[in-house]
Amino acid sequence: MSTELKKALYNISALADLGQAITSENNFHEKIQSVLYVITGTFLANKGALLFYDKPTNKLNTLAQKGFAPADLDRLNPEELMSLGRNESYLIGDDPVLTVAGAEILAPLWVRDEFIGALLLSGKLTVGPYTLEDLELLNVIANQIAIALNNHSLFLDLSDKLEENRRLYEEMRHIYHGTLQAFAAAIDAKDAYTKNHSHRVAKYSAAIARELGWNEHEIEGMYVAGYLHDVGKLAISNTLLNKVTPFTPEEREEIRKHSTLSHSITAKIKFPWKNVEDMVWHHHERLDGRGYPEALAQESLSDGVRILSLADSFDAMTSQRPYREKMDVQSAIGELRKNLESQFDHKVMLVFCKVLDKEIKGELPEPDILPHLDRDSDLSVISTLLEGIIVELSTP
Amino acid sequence: MKSVQFSVASRREGDAAIIYPKGYLNNLSGENLVIECGIYIGKGITKIVVNFSETDLINSIGISMLLQIIEDLRNIKGTICCTNMSKLLRDTFEMLGLMQHMLVFPVESDALTYLKTGKL
Repeated sequence: MSTELKKALYNISALADLGQAITSENNFHEKIQSVLYVITGTFLANKGALLFYDKPTNKLNTLAQKGFAPADLDRLNPEELMSLGRNESYLIGDDPVLTVAGAEILAPLWVRDEFIGALLLSGKLTVGPYTLEDLELLNVIANQIAIALNNHSLFLDLSDKLEENRRLYEEMRHIYHGTLQAFAAAIDAKDAYTKNHSHRVAKYSAAIARELGWNEHEIEGMYVAGYLHDVGKLAISNTLLNKVTPFTPEEREEIRKHSTLSHSITAKIKFPWKNVEDMVWHHHERLDGRGYPEALAQESLSDGVRILSLADSFDAMTSQRPYREKMDVQSAIGELRKNLESQFDHKVMLVFCKVLDKEIKGELPEPDILPHLDRDSDLSVISTLLEGIIVELSTP
Repeated sequence: MKSVQFSVASRREGDAAIIYPKGYLNNLSGENLVIECGIYIGKGITKIVVNFSETDLINSIGISMLLQIIEDLRNIKGTICCTNMSKLLRDTFEMLGLMQHMLVFPVESDALTYLKTGKL
């Protein structure tokens, strides 16, 4: 086999090596390093550099290099390289623009109208200058590298945009939750006795939903419904909300309007979660159909409504009211159990008891209910009570 | 052909180091060959024998590694001897003009004798 043929075969296998280096599963840095080795090995160069043009800073960044002094590469001006033409390799010769880096051969890297960077080589080991054949082969290689770098750059741009969108979404979400909390604070501020009620109901509801196996999006929707369930109270007079003596039938009727008002307000909001307005509308419904505002019963009540109803009642019972003392936790749990099937859902009650019991036993890293309970509560007594109810409700 | 993960072993004999590359010299793991030689050069060794008995194939990446070793030794006026090369390796080195930059011996002992006595 002639030397020319052997050299041609070697060059073809070098192109295959290049393809393998570019498409390997290595990380970007390793790929580029391999690409540089392929090039220096193919052209027997003891100096090689792969430069990437960073448009925003108008600078050439060295992706990989061997043999060049970094300071020499820094002296290259991208605009001068751009003016040299596209994908045509150059023998640098005495070119004053290019000799600054000490390179002998240069291939500008372009993809369509986009300047991507440059490839520099120098120090051919075998004596003799680079030939026209070398330049032709370098053109082919430079094209492949330009496309690979451009793809990587596009990928990075997309990743940056994705990251930016994710950041903006998180920011919006943060603002959204902040607004909801401000709303809830405004609702609760109307009534000195219900301070933080919406916050607690949101926490309790989300904890039950989580224990029921809902996904994070659904849990967030439940949380939001908890925050907003009493938003209609903003339209009820402060005097009525803070009344110490028992309500007259007319006053009770007026107070009961708050869930319909909550629905009217939330129905105007385009929530990314399902059924928030339904949950706030019906959180005073009962399974036996004796609740309000629509006297719905059984199947008409979604799981979300059932959760919110229990969480709201439990917090109401364990909170001080102007017209009654607050209940201790055991009594409130007893009250919930007493009203199972007529008012509260069996499954939701079972899950609520499980969550609270787990929180008491320290099985949940971030408790949602326990921190809001009366500090004087005897947790071992509550746990025993909960265990009994869990066994009872778990029995078919 | 069964692909063998590239690895490098070495030993020292007198004032020479003998390097044993093993496997296909075709990817970044070949950097270990340069590193291994660099360790000996760093210790003042200027005579390096690369025994290719367990490396039949080399691609452009491997050639680049070898260029680096040749360059590193040239900078310290050292000597590189290649031994036990397959015909394919010899042909490749010859075609690329690398033979002018190294001494080639059929077997490792010949290279060591030459480095010791200066006689072929």
